[in-house]
Amino acid sequence: MLEYVLLSFKADWSRALMSGLGIIIGVISIVALLSVGQGLYGGVSEQFGDFDMDLVSVRPGSGMGMGPGERPASTPEEPAEFDEKDVKIIDNVVGVEDVYPLKTSRALLSFRGDNASVSVIGILPDNHNDLKDVVARGRFLANSDYKAAVVSHDIAEDFFRMDISPGNQIRLYLTEEDRYMDFKVVGVLEEDEDPSYASNTCIYITHKAMDDFLDVDEYHYDSITVRAEDATLVEALAEEIEKEISRIHRDEAYNVEALSTRFESVLEVLNMIKYALAGIGSISLIVGAIGIYNVMTLTVKERTHEIGVMKAIGATTWDIRTLFLLDAGMLGLASSLVGILLGTLASDFVGSVAGIPQEVTLQSVAFGLLFGVLITTVAGIYPANKAAMLDPIEALRAE
Amino acid sequence: MSLVEIAGLEKGYRVGEIDVPVLKGIDLGIDEGEFVALMGPSGCGKSTLMNILGCLDRPSKGRVLLKGQDLSHLSDRNLARIRRDEIGFVFQSFNLIGRMSNLKNVELPMTLKETARGIRRDRARELLESVGLAHRLDYSPSNLSGGERQRVAIARALANDPSIILADEPTGNLDEKSTNEIMDIMYQLNKEGHTIIMVTHDIETTKHCSRVVWMRDGLVQEVTS
Ligand SMILES: Nc1ncnc2c1ncn2[C@@H]1O[C@H](COP(=O)(O)OP(=O)(O)OP(=O)(O)O)[C@@H](O)[C@H]1O
Ligand SMILES: [Mg+2]
Repeated sequence: MLEYVLLSFKADWSRALMSGLGIIIGVISIVALLSVGQGLYGGVSEQFGDFDMDLVSVRPGSGMGMGPGERPASTPEEPAEFDEKDVKIIDNVVGVEDVYPLKTSRALLSFRGDNASVSVIGILPDNHNDLKDVVARGRFLANSDYKAAVVSHDIAEDFFRMDISPGNQIRLYLTEEDRYMDFKVVGVLEEDEDPSYASNTCIYITHKAMDDFLDVDEYHYDSITVRAEDATLVEALAEEIEKEISRIHRDEAYNVEALSTRFESVLEVLNMIKYALAGIGSISLIVGAIGIYNVMTLTVKERTHEIGVMKAIGATTWDIRTLFLLDAGMLGLASSLVGILLGTLASDFVGSVAGIPQEVTLQSVAFGLLFGVLITTVAGIYPANKAAMLDPIEALRAE
Repeated sequence: MSLVEIAGLEKGYRVGEIDVPVLKGIDLGIDEGEFVALMGPSGCGKSTLMNILGCLDRPSKGRVLLKGQDLSHLSDRNLARIRRDEIGFVFQSFNLIGRMSNLKNVELPMTLKETARGIRRDRARELLESVGLAHRLDYSPSNLSGGERQRVAIARALANDPSIILADEPTGNLDEKSTNEIMDIMYQLNKEGHTIIMVTHDIETTKHCSRVVWMRDGLVQEVTS
């Protein structure tokens, strides 16, 4: 049976190409769009993957009520200013594991005559159980330390001709203000294998040192990061913290947010984009299906006499139907394979030209193949049935 | 028991509101090994009778038995099986498939029967050789003369070794020379034991027939030997 289907392809390859074109284009768009969509999704989730899912971030707001999770404000508000009081309050909220008040500044690090630009981060050392565990050499900071610093891996090993070791003296310059402060290095951190922002290129000092180094009138934290005891309850914890904060900073702008919330909503949007793209592909497949239907109907009409002959020499309704469905299925398979090939090339091309991450997954290939074959076959059902039901005598009369 | 038994066969076609009777009560028996010619004026119902015998159409009334099996109440599927296995049709207009080679055309009834590829190829080749077309196996029928096409059609009709060959004006489109060639083949087949029913308008072609059945206006008028 298959032989005769193949025969009809050989005889009608130009028509097969024409009718398959819609399916080819449909499968190309499905594969390419799904791949680019998947790439976007993968790229973003990889970036977000660095974020710990059990963290709540507390930040001063812009005062415009614009950010996600920010309290909307009818009138512009002053940004909230967070200090030790807030840390204490948050620390007392049930479910909080650690509280990390942070203040960050750029500075020029000078070591034995060499200079390098680094991030200096003021921390409350006793709360940083996460960093205490990753000290490679020396010790971690204590709350009572003053002109002591802990240096992250890259700065210690890669930035200077000589490695920085515990006991070394370093000097930090505040770039804009021509002021400096000397620190004694007490510890060097292990390399962060999965680095988030600046985690391998920063220096940790205490808030007290940071305050004097910056020499500002009022010292406030840039942000307070809170680690939840239970990651699954992080959103409830964020609400609880927000409630506590609102008591003190009633008319100020601030922003309390579980990092996972943002992550999830971005993934959700990306997921939607991915399937919307696939939807566009599906529409072109449907257009392709209409093309297949038309061409098949035409073919049945043209081959009416032939169908009559086949029936006269003993083909059953089932035989004829199978023949035409196989015809459609093969057409769908061939078109889908061509479409997958071109779609893979297209997504490579789009990915490299537009600089978008793309990823051809088994899922998108399977999706393309499945839809291509399925839709072509479904489009072939009606014409195939029509062919199968032809009356042999009347079909033989047709020419 | 006869190979074919027709009793009280009637066939009418519905044209618009009215039933037009075409066959009005045919009684006829045909034995195995006979070569029967069917003659009569145009429109008397010869092709209609052949189509019913060939399981392409159903009787309106009466009985048609082939090898004792009543054809009037069979399902479409079973009728197709009988066409495939028991009937060899030869048409006036050949009815070959132009986009297939002669070999594939002859193979087709065996393909429908799911005969193994090698076997059906060998048999198709043999059959085409036996009708003198050994040198035309891979040609398309459209490149053949009318006489040659009809020889391919005869080879195809023989593919599944049918019980009966039904030929509806097999020489109707052919010149005298081709007609003689085809009739020689038909005669040869009959001598080999094939039962043949042939519609013809040419009395010349009936000289080898065991009987001539004369039809008129949907009835058998007389049978001559
Ligand atoms: N499907 C049909 N619907 C209506 N009338 C039909 C149909 N088929 C055949 N007829 C009529 O039945 C009659 C017999 O037709 P049939 O083809 O059997 O004649 P025939 O004896 O083979 O004639 P010819 O020698 O010209 O081939 C004709 O009058 C024809 O018009
Ligand atoms: Mg006729």
